[in-house]
Amino acid sequence: MSVFTLEAGIALLGLALLMVEAFKPDISRRTLGLTAMAGTALALVLLPFCGTTQPGFMEAWHQLDTLAMFYKGFALVITLLVLWLTLECAPYLTRFTLDGRLAEMFSLPLITCAGMMWMASARDLVTVFVSLELVTVSFYVLVAFARKSAFSLEAGVKYLILGALSTGILVYGIAWIYGATGSMNFAAIGEALADPATSKPAALFGAALLLCGLGFKVAAAPFHMWVPDVYQGAPTPVTAFLSVGSKAAGFVVLTRALDAFLAEGSIIGSEIQALLLVAGSLTALLGSLPAMFQTSVKRLLAYSSISHAGYLLLALACRESARFDISSSGIVAFYLATYLPMTVLGFLGLGLMRANGLGEDIKDFAGLSKRNPFLALLMTISFASLAGLPLTAGFLGKLFVFLGLADHGYWGALSCAVIAAAAGFYYYFKTILVMYTVEGSDTPALTISMASKVVAGALAAIILVLGVYPKPLQKVLAADKPAIAAK
Amino acid sequence: MITLGHYLVVSGMLFALGLAGVIARRNIIIVYMCLEMMLSAANLALVGFSRFHLVNGLPDYTAQSLVFFTITVAAAEVAVGLAIIVALFRTKQSVDVESVTKLQG
Repeated sequence: MSVFTLEAGIALLGLALLMVEAFKPDISRRTLGLTAMAGTALALVLLPFCGTTQPGFMEAWHQLDTLAMFYKGFALVITLLVLWLTLECAPYLTRFTLDGRLAEMFSLPLITCAGMMWMASARDLVTVFVSLELVTVSFYVLVAFARKSAFSLEAGVKYLILGALSTGILVYGIAWIYGATGSMNFAAIGEALADPATSKPAALFGAALLLCGLGFKVAAAPFHMWVPDVYQGAPTPVTAFLSVGSKAAGFVVLTRALDAFLAEGSIIGSEIQALLLVAGSLTALLGSLPAMFQTSVKRLLAYSSISHAGYLLLALACRESARFDISSSGIVAFYLATYLPMTVLGFLGLGLMRANGLGEDIKDFAGLSKRNPFLALLMTISFASLAGLPLTAGFLGKLFVFLGLADHGYWGALSCAVIAAAAGFYYYFKTILVMYTVEGSDTPALTISMASKVVAGALAAIILVLGVYPKPLQKVLAADKPAIAAK
Repeated sequence: MITLGHYLVVSGMLFALGLAGVIARRNIIIVYMCLEMMLSAANLALVGFSRFHLVNGLPDYTAQSLVFFTITVAAAEVAVGLAIIVALFRTKQSVDVESVTKLQG
């Protein structure tokens, strides 16, 4: 059995659930949600046992290297968590949907997941475009899902307009790259760019437009303005999905595209590299500095997600580094793997607070340590890791990025990243302090279901274990290095 | 004789007009039409590049296959987009960009 059967299976399950929901309206949302989760979990279990062989005709646009397999697993894990988070937040969410139903909320994440898995394997720009749009169009619906809430609807409209704008820019960029290099295939584009006869202005124009289009998707400055509004307005499970899944999918495409643009002897290599460094530094700063002045924790997490995108861009800008046994794309994958548990844990905490009738502002966190010490501890672990405290998973990702920048001598970018990280410490620990030192109102204790406790505890444990002992994850990603070198 | 340059100039003008419309217009439906125009500009550029990139004396059809995908995806995007805009109009009785300014930091 090959891996693409899993992708097809996930998409078909999504369609099947959509049909079941449409023709059997009395089916309970628990059944739907658990079926979707069972399908995703089954695919996740089967993934390591799937062969990486595929029919010859697919080789042209679909590849199954270590990185592709890693991001496929990543997409399945985040989809599973989001489906579960949706079930957990359902009583609150249904107040804002039509007829109090969650219809497509369980089938659309599956279809999105299939798109992300397909994107991880993309080998040419046509595949990238189609799978990226599958993900983006599904997200338009998901973001505006709580349509009786003016906030969700507004977020949906903003995401729609800016997402469609980025699509237009992306396709125009693809057209110019094709015009300059005569190919849609990443490997062939890399070869054409190493040829001095290729028109440099056309290639640079196309590559810059493509990076702008992708910059929108991963929330890179100066195209990050939509992120705080959309993250704040979207339902919390969707925000977690956007923040982790959509970002990871954007970064795998960026990794592939940059492998071509920054290939050995590329005529546009130095310009693209400079562009990445500037965009990465700006993104880290423009994410972290405004975050210091936020009052809503959801908005704060949105800005933090922007600054993480900045560190990831900087990681991509440092190509092969002699110090590590993993390549820059491996470091990005490692960073994202550590980013997943801490972000999901943060949004899970927010979702649980919402489900208990609390708001999402920093002041609502006051006295949380008294009302529910367990939740306060989990949020502390999540925020400490997002800030990059040593002995948490978030620290190692940042350390790799900073060391890489120092090795290459990009001191300007490094100082921007350090300032952004310092600002990060300020706003995360400000929120943690509010939980522990400020006296809260005397609202009753929060109740958390047993399943939530188990999942949240597991996520927190993963953060701490990866922070102390990251070797297993690095080993998986180190296998990727020779494959990249051979290309 | 119409050359590749002519196609690219027209497509560049379409793209610039679309982008200007997205930035300047206040009505969301018109903004959305301008977005579609940007996609058409990209399609025109793709077809132009494809026609003038000959492989064994025939146009290279890779780019034209992307045009078909773009048209399909744009149709899906319009379907979802208009549904969201209609939902917005039902709630706010307006499709002006000024009606979506509630979310602020």
